[in-house]
Amino acid sequence: MYLKSLSLRQFRNYDQQCLHLSAAKTIIVGDNAQGKTNLLEAVELLSTLQSHRTNRDGDLVLNGETTGQIHGILERQMGTMELGLTLRRNGRRTVILNGQTQRRYLDLLGLLNTVRFSSTDLELVRGGPEQRRQWLDRLLTQLEPLYAHIWQQYQQVLRQRNALLKSHHANSTRPSQEELALWDAQLTATGIRVIRRRSRALARLSPLAIAWHQLISGCRETLEIRYLPNVKSETDHLEAWQQAFLVKIEERMMAEYHQHTSLVGPHRDDIEFTINNTPARQYGSQGQQRTLVLALKLAELELIEQIVRDSPLLLLDDVLAELDLKRQNQLLEAIQDRFQTLITTTHLGAFDAHWLRHSQVVTVESGRIMTDQQPLILTPNQPHHSNATKI
Amino acid sequence: MYTLPLARLIEQLQRLPGVGPKTAQRLALYILQRPDTEIQALAQALMDAKEKVGQCSVCFHLTADPICEICLDPTRDRHLICLVIDSRDVIALEKTREYRGLYHVLGGLISPMDGISPEQLNIQPLIQRVHRERPEEVILAISPSVEGETTTLYVGHLLKAFTRVTRIAFGLPMGGDLEYADEITLARALEGRRELD
Ligand SMILES: Nc1ncnc2c1ncn2[C@@H]1O[C@H](COP(=O)(O)OP(=O)(O)OP(=O)(O)O)[C@@H](O)[C@H]1O
Ligand SMILES: [Mg+2]
Ligand SMILES: [Zn+2]
Repeated sequence: MYLKSLSLRQFRNYDQQCLHLSAAKTIIVGDNAQGKTNLLEAVELLSTLQSHRTNRDGDLVLNGETTGQIHGILERQMGTMELGLTLRRNGRRTVILNGQTQRRYLDLLGLLNTVRFSSTDLELVRGGPEQRRQWLDRLLTQLEPLYAHIWQQYQQVLRQRNALLKSHHANSTRPSQEELALWDAQLTATGIRVIRRRSRALARLSPLAIAWHQLISGCRETLEIRYLPNVKSETDHLEAWQQAFLVKIEERMMAEYHQHTSLVGPHRDDIEFTINNTPARQYGSQGQQRTLVLALKLAELELIEQIVRDSPLLLLDDVLAELDLKRQNQLLEAIQDRFQTLITTTHLGAFDAHWLRHSQVVTVESGRIMTDQQPLILTPNQPHHSNATKI
Repeated sequence: MYTLPLARLIEQLQRLPGVGPKTAQRLALYILQRPDTEIQALAQALMDAKEKVGQCSVCFHLTADPICEICLDPTRDRHLICLVIDSRDVIALEKTREYRGLYHVLGGLISPMDGISPEQLNIQPLIQRVHRERPEEVILAISPSVEGETTTLYVGHLLKAFTRVTRIAFGLPMGGDLEYADEITLARALEGRRELD
């Protein structure tokens, strides 16, 4: 798929700007706080209807305005489509497909697929389980848009169940067995939907990630990816899952009363990465962790491509400059022109000149987008933007 | 900005659902332009409705009488009771002219976040009513939100001992969130499938 243009109206620090994407790779250059990430965020919103930076639409609308708009023209094998999203300070949204307002948000999901890779993804291995769950859930929404709904339902059940546990804590009574059982059943039903899909997605991603990892690390290391669901079942039968939930809920009942929050369910899942049988989280060197994240991202691209049967966009936020030249080249070689790529950076100097020549370069300055028409003149062997985290 | 009585009127109007400051101002200025008699009629209607309209003692639908018209209508099918969330649903279903049975208005959905537990809903009266009247079927017409599903689960469980319980898709919310869709129904149906043996 190919995003031909992106138009913004009163979105973040953009008043009214349009970006025509004219090459497979677009490099967005600008100083800090000029609006580079905001551009990628707009693409992310068209893709997932979510921003990784905020849950409040008020943050996304240009200060002082009440509505903002994102519009994109997308070319897919099945044809050209126009995606539109109107954001309002009050949180109400309108999703528009080919000029038609859609009744359900779901109808915009899954049309524009993206993989985001930012410097914070480097925390995927080292960070907390929450980050890994978010990563997997975001991938799942791309693979099966319905998952967004399934996850939302699970969270609503969780909020209700927690409210029940809390309200009784407040007046030091125990919720009636009957009422709690009702929410246990809902937690189980919606929780199983989440777990099964997470497990399925990881099972498909895993071999791809392992292959990439071997390629990047030069076959020296063996990666394993293991799903660690909070509730485990021996078999994948619905009844077995239900039983496993009920047993675990029973087990944790006292703890739940005391902590007055739900302790059982996929909101406590984790994913474990091991390299040569050692948990990458504790023992992986920074270099190993980076190789791992890079392999995961390439696997994501490939998996989406396999399932969606069209190549997703790759959004590289600040990350390329943080990879050493070897990994940079491995990444860029792997994506070639197969995946349309948007890259943000503060310094062009960090890039291999070979890649620069084949890219569209745009400059962003205080919410204005300037397309550089003339070829860039780069002094050869320009020192790479020094960065302490480089490996 | 506004003289005090006008400010008060705007303030009151603004409390109504869906009425923002601009609409409240427009309504207030409109009201001031209307003849006295019209405004008196409006005020009277407000007072009367509030004073006289209560709930049907059988089905909890809004009515000015002890028992509502639907419950008293001898032509309605007494073997059928349709369970709905509030009176708006009764009105919506009545407009279709498809349904000829009776109703029971629940008065809300189970929602711990809003402090609503099953006891606060008209569930006990429903059980008693079903026990007493022995309908052939109770149709649950409750929106399939998380709270709706939970309430359906609860009520369905309680009623099963007395009568046949069925459910219809109803009250699909418009706009807004990711919603119920054919895909979701399908996905659920697929989930419960078994291998042929
Ligand atoms: N709703 C908004 N209205 C106006 N300006 C906003 C809004 N939200 C963010 N900004 C501005 O956008 C800028 C940040 O943009 P962005 O995050 O895209 O920066 P960046 O170019 O990616 O910078 P960095 O190199 O530091 O990552 C800040 O100047 C911020 O004040
Ligand atoms: Mg940025
Ligand atoms: Zn009645």
